[in-house]
Parts: sequence; C-alpha cells; structure tokens
Amino acid sequence: MTIPGFVIKNAFRNKRRAALCVLSVAASLALLVTLLVILDFFINPPEDTGSSLRIAVRNKVSLAASLPVRQRTIIAKIPGVEALTCLSYFGGNYKAEKSTYFAQFGMEPDQLEAVFGEAKMPRDQLEAWIANRTSCIVGADTAKRYNLKLGDKFPLVGVIYPVDLDLTIAGIYKGTTDDRNVFFHQKYLDELLGDPGTVGMWWIKASSAEVVPGVIDRINAAFANTSAEVLAETERAFQMDFIAMMANVKSLIAYICSVVVFALALVSASTMSMAIRERIRELSVLKALGFRRHELFAFILAESFSLAAIGFIIGVGGICAAFASVDFSALSGGFLPSSLLATPRIIGIAALVAVGLGIVSSLAPAFSIARLSVVEGLKTLD
Amino acid sequence: MPSLFKYHFRSVFVRWRSSIATIIGLALVIAVFVMVQSLAVGIEKTSANTGDPRNLLVTRQGALAEATSVITREQFNIIRYLPGVELDATGTPLASGDTLIIINLPRRDGTGNSNVMLRGIAPTGKELRSQATLVEGRWFAPGQREAVASRRLANRFANLHVGGKFKTGGVELTVVGIFDGQRSAFDSEIWLDADEARGAFDRPDYSSMLLRIRSNEALAEIRRTIEADRRLKVKAVREVDYYKEQTRTAGPIKWLGNGLAIVMSVGALFAAMNTLYASVGARTREIGTLRVLGFRRRSILLGFLLEGALLAALGGTLGCAAAYVGWNGASAGTLGQETFTEIVFDFQITPVLIAKGIAFAVIVGLIGSFLPALRAARLPVIASLKAN
Repeated sequence: MTIPGFVIKNAFRNKRRAALCVLSVAASLALLVTLLVILDFFINPPEDTGSSLRIAVRNKVSLAASLPVRQRTIIAKIPGVEALTCLSYFGGNYKAEKSTYFAQFGMEPDQLEAVFGEAKMPRDQLEAWIANRTSCIVGADTAKRYNLKLGDKFPLVGVIYPVDLDLTIAGIYKGTTDDRNVFFHQKYLDELLGDPGTVGMWWIKASSAEVVPGVIDRINAAFANTSAEVLAETERAFQMDFIAMMANVKSLIAYICSVVVFALALVSASTMSMAIRERIRELSVLKALGFRRHELFAFILAESFSLAAIGFIIGVGGICAAFASVDFSALSGGFLPSSLLATPRIIGIAALVAVGLGIVSSLAPAFSIARLSVVEGLKTLD
Repeated sequence: MPSLFKYHFRSVFVRWRSSIATIIGLALVIAVFVMVQSLAVGIEKTSANTGDPRNLLVTRQGALAEATSVITREQFNIIRYLPGVELDATGTPLASGDTLIIINLPRRDGTGNSNVMLRGIAPTGKELRSQATLVEGRWFAPGQREAVASRRLANRFANLHVGGKFKTGGVELTVVGIFDGQRSAFDSEIWLDADEARGAFDRPDYSSMLLRIRSNEALAEIRRTIEADRRLKVKAVREVDYYKEQTRTAGPIKWLGNGLAIVMSVGALFAAMNTLYASVGARTREIGTLRVLGFRRRSILLGFLLEGALLAALGGTLGCAAAYVGWNGASAGTLGQETFTEIVFDFQITPVLIAKGIAFAVIVGLIGSFLPALRAARLPVIASLKAN
C-alpha cells in the first residue's frame, strides 16, 4: 500500500465520522463565505464603470433635506459637468407591502443614458419611458421578484411624500450594480405635489476623472452661505457615508465571522483528535515498526488536511452554487440583492481558514503521539 | 429508570474531553443567537418604553414617521383648543407643535458621519415628555440658538458635550445641557426650541404635535373628533402606540440572527452527532450490560436522547451566560428604518430570550442524539458484550 493510499484509507475508515466531520466543516465554511459576502456587500459596495466619474450632491444639513430646483442651471454651467439629473428618493411602498426594500427615484429620463450609462435596455423602451410622464423603468431584479412585464401597472404608496404614484412600466433595465431600483419622471412627482420647486439630490457625470475634484470644489463653493448649502462628493464617498451610518451592526457582522471561525476550529479539532485517540494502539504499532515521530505527524496532518479540503470543496462549492441558483433577494424579503457573488478574495480567505483548520486539528493528537511510549500505547485497550 | 438517568448524567462528565468540545461549540452558537436577537429586543424595548399613555400624537395621514409628517399652524391651533386637552397652571393647553429635522453630524470617534434627529419643541414639550430628565447643564432658552442633547448621543457624536457647538443649516447651535431619556427613543434626539428650528431650517409648518389629554374618555372622544374632521386630514394615536410600532429596524436583525443560528446549528449538529456516536461506540459493552440487567431498548434510546439534551442544555446555558456577561446592557446604535437617523439602544438579554436560547440548544441536542441513540438501542446484546 502506498503512503497516500494509507492516509486516505485511514481518513475514511470510519465513514460516518469522516462524513460528519466533513459536513460540519462544510456547513461552517459555507456560513463564513455567506457572512463575508454580505459584509462585503455592505462595506465594499460594487463599483461600476461610471462610478469614478459620478458626483453626488446633497443638502449639507442631511440627505433628508431637499435642494431648490434653481441650483440646476448654476451647476450645469460649471466646467467639467457633462451631464446632470435630479434624483429624488421617493421611499414609497409597493402596493400593499409594509416595507419595500427596493429604492425608487424621481429623475430626468433624458439624462439616464448620460449619467447612468450602465443601465441597459432596448432603445424603444427608453424612448417610451421618456415619452410617457407617468411611466417608469424597473430594474431586472425587481421585475423578476414581482413577476412584472412591460405595460404592467406599478403603484407606489407614498410614505415620505403625501402622494401616491400610479406608474406604468415602460422599460426593464439591467447592468447596474443594483438592478433593483426603479426610476420615474421627477416631473410627475412635482405635478402631484403642486410644484414645490425642490428635488432630493443632484447626480452629476463629470467629463473625465481628472476634473472630478475641481468640479466638487466648485459646486460646494457655488452654494456656500446660501439658504441651501450643499455637500458634493464622489459617488464612492457618498456610498461610504451611507455605510458608516450602519454603525455597530456593521462591526457586529465582522465580529460574528470570527466567532464562526473559532467555533469551527474547535469542533473539527475535537473530531480529529477523537479519530486519532481511537487509533493509539495502531499508531504505537507503527512506531514499533520503526516509523519516526515526524512521519506519524505527517500522516495525521495529511489526514486532517484531506478532511478539511473535502469540507472546503463541498461547503464553498455548495454555497457558490447556491448563490448562482437561489434567489437570496426573495429569501430575505428583498433585503439583499439577488446577485450575491463570492469574490476570489473571499474564497481565498475560506481556503486559508480550511488550511489553518487542518493544522490546528492535527496539533493535539500529534502531541499525544509524540509523548506516547510504544509499550504504553500497545497496552491501551480503548 | 432513575439509575439510568444517573448513569447518563455521570457519563457526560466522565467523558469530559469529548463532551467539552460539543458543549463549547453549542455555547458559541447560542451566544451568537442570543446576542443578535438581544439587539432586536433592545430596539423593541426602547420603542415600547417611550411615551406617556396620557399623550396623543398627531401626524399627517399616511406619514409613517414624525419626520415626514406636516402639521400646519392652522391645524395646530384648531386641535390645541379642542375640549378635553389638559390645561397648565396658566390656562394654556398642554400641547407642543414639534419640528423634526434630520441633520448630519460627525461621530466622536472619527469613523464618519451619521444622521441625527433634531427635535424642535414648544416650552410645554418638556412637560409632556417627563421621561427626559436633565442630568447636566440647563434646558435651552428660546431664541438663544441653544440645544440640549441626550447623554447617549453625546457619547457617540462630536461636539455634543455641554458648551460644544455644531453648525447646521446656516446656524450654529450651542449645547447647554445633557438629558437622559431613560432608555426611550428620546435617547436618540437633540432638542431645541420649535419656532427657532422652524426659522433656522426654513420650515413654515410643524412636523407633528403632542397633546396631553385630561382623561381616557376624553382621549377617545378627541381622537374621533380629529379623525372625523375632514379639514384636518390628520391621524391621532396614543404616543405610546406610535412608538410601539417603530420597530422596522429590528426586522432584518432578527432575520440575520435566525439565519445565523440555523446555519451554525447545522455545523454544531454534525459535531454533536460525532461526539455521541463515538461515545456510543466506546460504551458498547456498557450498553450490553445495561440490556442484560433488564433495561429495554426504548430505555436505552431515551437515555441517550437525555444525554444529548443534557449536553446541549449545558452548552446553551454556557452560551447564554457568556452573552449576558459580555453584552447585556451594552449600548449600540444603527440607522433607524423609520426615522432615517441613528437610533441608540441596549443589548437586552431578557429571561424569555435566555429560555429561547436554551430551548433552541436542547432541540439541536435532541436531533443530534437521535441517530446515535437509535444505534445504541439497536445493538445486539451478545455481540456488544463481546466487544472490547
């Protein structure tokens, strides 16, 4: 029998235990990957191609305060501003839902292509949307979740605003980092509100990455000491601000990740030591036959490595397959986006944990083998 | 039967080496479950602990939160003089028109900014909210650009100590006092004068209004009057009921806690099964002996189930204890879903939560021990006596 054959035979001699051990490693690694993916989604939101060129402008008081429409012409004249749209968060509930997780924005439809070029949809749908004031475009994820088609009614009940929107779907787009959002005509909202002359935010596309800092400074300066001071920042900085608001919940998830890793190490290490303890007599025989300590240690290490590796393949492979096939958005009631993705970095972390696990769980049995005298081991009954 | 129970009880401790890993593994699962759920409980308790049952809160119809509600001065004056509203010593109605403004402030530890609720209240507003007590400095004086902050916010945000200044909406406000909301939603607010807030933030109207009502009967009566009046288009609810509903933030946290607990317990389940299988394997001869002594198969099954449950209960208790020692009462904050501002609350590990945690552990223990117990019960007597 070859040495690898010997190791593999040993690892799976007690099939039930090997299976349980592998499954507990797999379950824990799958959980770890899921947590890291969710954490990544919150801490490190995906960037798309236009991200580095976009600038978000909000009221300096807070995101909840509105901006006067008259700012538009002033911003449009600033050199380096290529395109510009208002973006008003509507925050309504879909039909009779109690809490709707996809966001809805009022904007200027003719600016969509220029500012959010990633949102792809057929030309005729875009034109239909621009032409019809009470129509909207819906992200592919939302369309899928509610099973919506072009021409469907899409009613939104106002929560922040005292009006309800009675929208019709003119287009379904995809290709942005969050294909859940819904966009409608700002004009329609203004009309329902009786033209208050305010919008939520301004969203700007700069002509090149080099001019972005200058444009930001100019916009901030343009409204300093007016009744509506603004805060212009890159889209990335804006997203990061949002994440900072999650405060302790964010660190809590990170903290739980480490607890999961620790629990996992503990459980697998104990299972591995259990397997070795049962074979003390056999290992003593090997020692008596002339195998050295380091050789026995290599056997144990190889055995726990192979169990951890199989657990890694099943757990991480399984969860990646689940990400691809299960709709997490529906599972979480729309709280998560439907396209969760385990990045190579996350898979790398899981692999490192699996390797660490293989080492840690072979330590305790290795120590007892090293200390064991052959005679004592042969005498052991159990 | 009692002797069998004793046997299993002792077994857990005799084989402590394999028991302990299972116990700690389960303890970690339960600790995470209890900790995450205690956040949700903290949010719910804070909501339930806010308000005075004698108060009525009036908001715009359809508004889910005070900050997005609008009450015009005309509406304010109609409602304030309705019969049934309590009067103060000078004969003016106990009613406060509040202005709520969401402002963005830097955190004290420099980890970014977050939204904070600025509440403008009438001079009667403090009287209506007796939960908030001044612990440092003094209350604000109207017209002086002064504000008071809750102690919990002062601990989390920069410049909210007495004497601190912060600039927002073109005005600079000075903090002159610190109040304690006594674990209510007011712990997440900064207060100033309502009319001053309206001026500084260019608001013609109030956001909401709070009224003290003379009696329970008057309260029902006044609610009917207000809601039947078609001019008003407002909604009137008891202040306590309004806050009780403000628990949307707890939803995703609960979802996270349950999801984590389920996946982690699957991992722990396999580990527990492993321990118990090994334990059954090592005790083959003992089980044979028990059978010879006259114990039935079902007693053996029951005995091992009990052992699994005991192991799990120990783990569950340990996990709850760890969570309690580590987090109970610790303060946390996150973005509130209704308010869109930072809400501050405590991890609250209640007896109900502890019972849930232990029950959860016992269920995991019972499931994990079922197959090993079945195996033990099915061992053939003679063969198992011969085993070494």
